[in-house]
Amino acid sequence: MAREKVGALVMLLFSMAYGLMALKIPLSFIAQNEFFTSRTMPYALAVLGLILSLLMLILPTVDPEGKKHLKQVTHGMDWKTAILLVVGMIFYGLVIKWLGFIISSIIFLMFGFYVLGERRLKRMALAAIPLVIFLWFVMSSLLGVYIAPGELFYMLGIL
Amino acid sequence: MWDGMLSGMLTGISTTMIPMNIAMVLFGCFMGSLIGMLPGLGPITAVALMIPVTYGLDPSSGMVLLAGVYYGAIFGGSTSSILINAPGEAATVATALDGYPLARQGHPGKALAVAAYASFSGGTISVIMLMIFAPILASVATSFQSADYFALMILGLTAVSAFAGRGGVLKALLMVVLGLMLATVGTDQTSGVQRFTFGSLELLDGIEFLLLAMATFALTEALSIVLKRDESSDSLKPRTIGFKNLKVTKSEFKQIAPTIGRSSLLGFIIGVLPGAGATLGSFMAYGMERNLASPEEQKKFGKGSLRGLAAPEAGNNAASSGSFVPLLCLGIPGSGTTAVMLGALIAYGIEPGPRMLTANPQVFWGLIMSMYLGNVFLLILNLPLIPYFARLLAVPRNFMVPMILFFSLMGVYLVTFNDFDILMMVIFCIAAMALRLMNFPMAPLLLGFILGGLMEDNLRRALLIYNDSFSFMWERPLTLGINLATLLILVFPMIRSFIARRKGGGKPGNEVVVEV
Repeated sequence: MAREKVGALVMLLFSMAYGLMALKIPLSFIAQNEFFTSRTMPYALAVLGLILSLLMLILPTVDPEGKKHLKQVTHGMDWKTAILLVVGMIFYGLVIKWLGFIISSIIFLMFGFYVLGERRLKRMALAAIPLVIFLWFVMSSLLGVYIAPGELFYMLGIL
Repeated sequence: MWDGMLSGMLTGISTTMIPMNIAMVLFGCFMGSLIGMLPGLGPITAVALMIPVTYGLDPSSGMVLLAGVYYGAIFGGSTSSILINAPGEAATVATALDGYPLARQGHPGKALAVAAYASFSGGTISVIMLMIFAPILASVATSFQSADYFALMILGLTAVSAFAGRGGVLKALLMVVLGLMLATVGTDQTSGVQRFTFGSLELLDGIEFLLLAMATFALTEALSIVLKRDESSDSLKPRTIGFKNLKVTKSEFKQIAPTIGRSSLLGFIIGVLPGAGATLGSFMAYGMERNLASPEEQKKFGKGSLRGLAAPEAGNNAASSGSFVPLLCLGIPGSGTTAVMLGALIAYGIEPGPRMLTANPQVFWGLIMSMYLGNVFLLILNLPLIPYFARLLAVPRNFMVPMILFFSLMGVYLVTFNDFDILMMVIFCIAAMALRLMNFPMAPLLLGFILGGLMEDNLRRALLIYNDSFSFMWERPLTLGINLATLLILVFPMIRSFIARRKGGGKPGNEVVVEV
């Protein structure tokens, strides 16, 4: 299946789900008698999405790039590194509240450097630590933005 | 008219010429050049990355900085196109066609200098045209009603799709619809009803536009570099590139001067069209120049022609300024980058549109004047700094990619201080990456998302005024005119493919495929 068709199918399913969820948007008694409610725009968009994705599925693919299969396009891609970086970003999002901005950012950056093949620890540290501390300094000292320390420090009684 | 323009220019000069704003233009051009030079990163990413920096500034300084970033990023993109044949984004692809061969022939300095002069001239000419036409259009647009705005937004969103290139119309329209769908998430401002929040408190205010912009552009572009194993920056050794000869001879100037004039004019007109933007501007200018050249001259195109290099450079810079016309006068972005800037304006609490000229003249004129200043700065600063800037191209991706990811995540986190936003960015990044792999463009999505709320508000208001009747779509001559233009734009790709089929027997012709 051409990659564009796969995309159209995904969008068709998404539009259907969006339309079904639009049915669940709560309406007050007064709103139910109105012409334009909070549901009107989502309904219209769901219908438009369905029509457009169906058209894409039915009509022949013109764009030569879109005709390629997903397998063809993704062949030889470095999935392992990309997935590791995504995992790193998720981990960063999960720990930033607990470890605080400085420590979690340094860990994230050094993890990223490592995943991408860098092995010189000194270089990694020299690239990550000054950058994060400089950013923290600019935000907290120069711009006066309060960056809360990690909650872990409160729990351990350090702060 | 001239009095108004003159007083506006004076307002602009007094806004721009304060030390803080001069510093902002300088900083914006510098940062834009640096970010735009990185392979894979274009003006949209550059502007999105710099928005968090502007939140602490007053709106005029913020916009001045972002305009500098926009210009700088386009110039930076040209540098990577010329030096390593790695255009940062679609708008500088045409620059690489002749710029890279010229650099390979041993004239990287000359190629960069021609690009700089052409960009400066294109930018300057179009800023002058912007000064003349923007206030006229803005004064006309003050009579616009909700119905006209709704129709205009439909026109803008449709135009994006019309310029999406062969076979890209439906995809672009679908992405616009997806953007509009995402804009409905959160609390409905009129009724106070929660929509698609799944009971999450974090989604009550809807999705942050900056979050979406960073996730769909900056994060996905960084991950694309990894996925495609793009190591173009690793292979460059800038010290081996000679920059001794930045000089352009008098005869060469004479050769490119008419090209620059023509391309600037064409670029500006294309830029004004909603949805066209710098990419189409550069390709059209290149195409026009090639068609105008003598058969002998035509043979040089693609092999290092100075005219072939000057045309797209002047064209894309002029179109960049031109795309500010619909943004400033109608509140409708003309390109992906101006869509991000519209989001920034809304975040500053400024309502873009015709009233901006009277309500916030310092932002309106300050922005226009800063564009001129930005062009001057880019010329006098970037030429001598090119050899140093080029060294950035040699930063290995081992370091570059995690830093881009970090700055993107931080750009959002340091504004909202909500760790949920980081996780949401990752989700959007994965979805955007999947859509990109399926060959769907991202800029229409952002445009739809930014215009979604405004569009719903205007439609609601228009229906209220016209007693729940859709007759507003044809009762007012202005609305009718805009709707007819939308219809024309929708039919345009069909006519184009019909003509192409008649001419080329069904085979795709020598047309330009543009990713908006």
